Amino acid sequence: MKYFSRILDIALRELGILWRNRIYGFCMIVFPLLLVVFFTTMLDEGIPQDLPIGVVDQDNSATSRGLIRNLDAMQNSRVVYRFANVTEARCAMQEGKVYAYLYIPEGTAAKLLAGRQPQISFYYTMTCMTAGSMASKDMKTIGMLGSMAVGRAKLSAKGASSRQIRAALQPVSIDAHMIANPQSSYNYSLTTVFVPGILMLFMALLSAYSLGMEMKFDTGKEWLARADGNIVVAILGKYLIHALVFLLVIFLYQYYIFEVLDFPRLGGVWKIVRLSLLQVAGSLGFGIFAFGLMPSLRMSMSISSLWFVLSISMCGSAFPVAGMDAPLQAMSWLFPLRHYWMLYQATVLNGFPVIDVWFHFVALIAFTLLPWFVLRKVKNAMLNYVYIP
Amino acid sequence: MSTFLNRLREHFTDVLHIWRHEMVKVIKDEGVLMFLVVVPLGYPLLYSWIYNNETLHETPVAVVDQSHSALSRQFIHDCDATPDVHVKYYAEDLDEARSLVSRQLVRGIYLIPSDFAELVNRGEQATVSVYCDMSLMLAYKAVYQTAVVEAGRLGAGLNIKKAGNYTKREDAITAQPLVVEGVTMYNPSGGYGSCVLPAVLMLILQQAIALGIGMAAGTARERHRNGQLIPDDDPHYRGAYRIVWGKALCYGMIGAVAAAYLSMAVPAMFSFPQLATGWNLFWMLLPYTLASVFFGLTVSCLVRYRENVMLLMVFVSVPLLFMTGVSWPQSSIPGYWQGVSWLFPSTFGVRAFIRVNSMGASISQVLPEIRILWIQAAVYLGMACLVYRHQFRLARKWAGK
Repeated sequence: MKYFSRILDIALRELGILWRNRIYGFCMIVFPLLLVVFFTTMLDEGIPQDLPIGVVDQDNSATSRGLIRNLDAMQNSRVVYRFANVTEARCAMQEGKVYAYLYIPEGTAAKLLAGRQPQISFYYTMTCMTAGSMASKDMKTIGMLGSMAVGRAKLSAKGASSRQIRAALQPVSIDAHMIANPQSSYNYSLTTVFVPGILMLFMALLSAYSLGMEMKFDTGKEWLARADGNIVVAILGKYLIHALVFLLVIFLYQYYIFEVLDFPRLGGVWKIVRLSLLQVAGSLGFGIFAFGLMPSLRMSMSISSLWFVLSISMCGSAFPVAGMDAPLQAMSWLFPLRHYWMLYQATVLNGFPVIDVWFHFVALIAFTLLPWFVLRKVKNAMLNYVYIP
Repeated sequence: MSTFLNRLREHFTDVLHIWRHEMVKVIKDEGVLMFLVVVPLGYPLLYSWIYNNETLHETPVAVVDQSHSALSRQFIHDCDATPDVHVKYYAEDLDEARSLVSRQLVRGIYLIPSDFAELVNRGEQATVSVYCDMSLMLAYKAVYQTAVVEAGRLGAGLNIKKAGNYTKREDAITAQPLVVEGVTMYNPSGGYGSCVLPAVLMLILQQAIALGIGMAAGTARERHRNGQLIPDDDPHYRGAYRIVWGKALCYGMIGAVAAAYLSMAVPAMFSFPQLATGWNLFWMLLPYTLASVFFGLTVSCLVRYRENVMLLMVFVSVPLLFMTGVSWPQSSIPGYWQGVSWLFPSTFGVRAFIRVNSMGASISQVLPEIRILWIQAAVYLGMACLVYRHQFRLARKWAGK
C-alpha cells in the first residue's frame, strides 16, 4: 500500500510536468495525430492512379491507336503526352513529366497482320519504384492484350465460342487471393508501420528526455525523495503517466484506421490491445535503458532518435530483412520496431496465433525489462551527476 | 570613402571572427559534432548497407499439388527455377500450407487443383490459385508475378504443341504474335536501394545541417546568462547581418564537405547509379546547400532548448521523404501536401538530385527545381536576417537591463 501511494504521488507529479512543458503535449498528442492525418491522406488513393505516361506512336494505325486507348483506360496509367520520337520522350522522363513511355515503331500493324512478329517496347523509370512497377504492369498487360487480339480475331472467324477462345489463348490462368489486403493498397501497408514506428520513436525519445530533464534542472533528488529512494517505485510512477497517454493516442489511432477508415485486419481487438501494451512498454524500456547507458540528456536522446529512425528501415516492412546481409539480419533483433511489426502483421493483419511468432513477443518483453540493468546507474546519475550544457 | 572602406573591413573582420567562433563551438560540442559530422558520415553507409542487396530473390512459397500430374510438376518446377521464387515446402492441403505462412516460413501458397491437368488436356481453361501474404509488398509481387509469367509460358508451350508448326520461327510467332519488350531505365536492376538511397542522402544533408545549427543555437542560449541566442559579451557580435553571414560561412563550409561526400563518395562506394557530371552536381548542390543552411538558421531561432530541435527534425524527416515523391509518386500526392512540400528545400533538392544523378539529366532539364531552390535560399536568407535582427534587438534589450 505504501508503494502504491508513492507511485500515485509521483504519477501526479509527472502529470504536472507533462502539463507545464509544452514539448510533451506536442510530441505525445499533436505530432502523432498530425502523422496519422499525414499518412492517411497522403496514401488515400491506396495505389497510385493515373500516372502520367507518354507514347511515341510512329505507326499511326488503327491498331496502335487501339493500344494507346487501352493503355489510357487502365486504372494506373494516363496518357498525357504524345512524342514525335524516342529522344523527346526520354527527355520528358528526365524532366519528371512522365514515368514511362510506350514506343510503337512504324509498320507494327502491317507486320502483325502479315504474321511477321512486330515488336513494341515500353521504357519505364525505376527511380520511383511504385510508379515504375505500376506503369510497367499496365504496359505489359496492354502488350499481352495486343498479342491476344490477333488470336481472338482468328478464332472467332473460325466460329469458336468465347469460352473456347479464352481457353485457347490462356490455357492456364491465375486466380490471385491477396489475403488481408485485396486492393494491394499501400495505405494499408505503409501507414500501419510508419505511424507506430514514429510513435515508438517519440516514446523512447521522451522517456530519455524526461529523465534528462530531471537531471538538467536538478529535480531528480526531489523525485527520488518522493519515492523514498526506491528507484523502481520512482520509475514506475513516472512512466505510468507516459504509458497511459501514449496508449490513449494509440487507441485513438487504431480506432480511426480500423473503424473509420476500415483498414483490413483478421485479428481481434484483444490482439490489438496486447500489441499496443507491448509496443508502449518496450519503447519506454528502451528509452530508459539508453539514458542509463549514457546518463546525459543529449547523448541518450541522440542515440534513441538515431536508433529508432534506423529501425524504420530495419524493421523490414519495405525491404525485407531476409534480403539483407547476414549481420544485418542478426542486428534486426535489436530494434523494437522490428518485433512490433512482425507481431502486427502476423497477429493483427493476418490473424495468426501469437505462438507462431512467440520469439518477437518475448523480445518486446525483454526490451521492457532492459532498464533493470541500469536502475542503479540512473539513481546514481540523479543523485550525483551535474548537468553540463 | 575611407570611412566606407573602414566599415567594410570592420564588417569583414567581424564576419570572419564569428565564422571562427562558430567553427570552434561546433568542434567542441559533441552533440553538434555528432549531427554535423557523424550522421552525414555514418548514416549513409548504414543505409547503403541495409539496401545493398537491392532486390529480393528466392521468396519462399509452399505448394499444394492436388493434381499430381506431369503438367503440375512442370509448373512447380518452372516457378522454382525462377530467381524470384523458391518452392520451399510441399503441403498436403491448404490448412497445412496456411500454418507454414503463419510460422513465417513461406510468403505465399500455390494451390494446383485436382482437375488441373485434366482441364488443360481437354482444352479447357485451368486455374492455379495463388494465396499471397500481403504484409510484404515486394514478396507479394515476386510470388504473384512469377506465377503469372510461368502460367503464361506453360500456356504458350501448350499452344505451340497444338499448332502443328514446321519451323521454330512459326513456333515463336504462335507463342507471341506481338513481341513486347520492357526496358527498365535509370535503375536497371530495379533495386530498392538505388531507388530510395539518393533521396535519403539528400535528406540527410538538409536534416544534418538543420539539426547541427539548431543544436548549436540551443547551446548558445543555454550558456547565455539571459537565455539569449546572441552573446552580448563578444564585441564582434554587433550586427544581425554579420552574424548571419558568419554562421552561414561556418555551416556552409561543413555542408559543402558533407554534400560532396554524400553526392559522390557514397554512391561510388556502393555503386549506385551515377550519371551526373561534376559540374551538374555542383550547380544543383550549391543552391540546395545554401537553402538548407539558411533554412536551418531560420528554424534555429525558434528553439529554446537544444533538445527540442531534435524532436522537431526527427519528426518531420519521414514525412519529408514522402513529400519528395520517391516512394510515393509525385503525381499521386494530394495538392495540399504538394503545397506544404514547397516550404522545404529537401523536396526540390531530392528531385533535382535524382534527375541529375540517377537519370543523367542536364541542368537545363532540372531548371524549375534549381530555380525554386535559389528562391528558397533567398527567402530563407531574408527570413534568417529578419529573425536574427529580432534576436539581436532582444539581446540588446536584455543586456541593457
